[in-house]
Amino acid sequence: MGTAVSFHLYPGEGAPGSLHSALEKACEGLHRVEEVFSTWQPDSPVSRWRRGELAAESLPPEVGEVMALCEQAKRLSGGWFDPWSMPGGTDPTGLVKGWSVEAAASLLQAEGWRAGMVNGGGDLTVFGPPPQGAAWRIGVQHPWRPEGLACVLEVASGAVATSGTYQRGPHLVDPRTGRPAVAAASATVTGPSLALADALATALAVGGATVLDRIAALPGYEAYLIGPEGQESQTPGMPFG
Amino acid sequence: MKRAITATVSTVAGFGVVLGMHTATARNALSSALKRAAAPAATTVPAAPAGGGAAAGASRAAAGPPAPSTTVPGGVHSAVGTAEQYGYGVLSVKVTVDGKRITDISLANLQTAESYSQMLAQQVVPMLRQEVLSAQTARVNGVSGATYTSEAYLISAQSALDHLHVP
Repeated sequence: MGTAVSFHLYPGEGAPGSLHSALEKACEGLHRVEEVFSTWQPDSPVSRWRRGELAAESLPPEVGEVMALCEQAKRLSGGWFDPWSMPGGTDPTGLVKGWSVEAAASLLQAEGWRAGMVNGGGDLTVFGPPPQGAAWRIGVQHPWRPEGLACVLEVASGAVATSGTYQRGPHLVDPRTGRPAVAAASATVTGPSLALADALATALAVGGATVLDRIAALPGYEAYLIGPEGQESQTPGMPFG
Repeated sequence: MKRAITATVSTVAGFGVVLGMHTATARNALSSALKRAAAPAATTVPAAPAGGGAAAGASRAAAGPPAPSTTVPGGVHSAVGTAEQYGYGVLSVKVTVDGKRITDISLANLQTAESYSQMLAQQVVPMLRQEVLSAQTARVNGVSGATYTSEAYLISAQSALDHLHVP
């Protein structure tokens, strides 16, 4: 994944286990995801599967789970998120990061942490009561002003994922053409699942307004789009703070 | 300032880099610098307890503008944190505080043999800086944004530290 993950945790009344062991567990989970799903490590199970050296039945069970979510994201996005149409072969990477961060947050919550935020390279999820106020305040990075925010969102729980072309150059691919896409400077999706929000943000960045309309129709999900020239649009329920 | 530091200990869980860099290195480097910068000017002195294991001692002088002659609660202080060892070398960060606000974070010292590792550290600290500074000005708990990744090195880092929500 090549991403840093940060954790913010708030203990509850009954003290959960040590911070150190909780983080160690969460990081172990992330490293395992990296080992299984890496598409640039040639000997990872997913790399071997992509080359046809490993049968689908022999893959670790989490690959099946991720591919089912990819299927769902493809359907919900009207095909604008499509891991099966990537130039280098099937590539679920666009959903894996969000999925793994979501899993890390669920694990920490199950360990007894009252509230927290896990942020994997700008795709984050929050649970429990925020440190102050009624909602978590999440800034959306401005696509052109590196230290600025485009807006602030207020979310009680769930995910915020942002895709864009401003940090990595045009790394997103249009599944219809297999070519780099430039439909958005920045595309943000909020909703209960970070795995889906991550994939939908990628779809939104590639598909633009069409995908915005699809997300508007999805219960629980909202979207905010900044076009290549800076024009903004959003779904009606986007929780601007 | 005590409050902010206490909050660091009790609520900031940590920071992990999925590839390559030692978990918590950047956090430790930052929080030690922050403690030193936040201390009254007269006590922002070198030779704080070592935090970097074998690396301790590599960089620990308080830097920045001359301390005001009177110990005012506000004012600009900077400090260099303890040298933190990570997978491939040693780094320390410098934090500048104006009153209760962090105004800058930079890489103070980086000792590493390889260019890959330099690349890592040089990406982590600017990202830390960006997130910290925007968190402070807009009072946000976190920042969502497209990943900072160098395709060449397949590494990126992002960090968030909520002790920077200094009241």
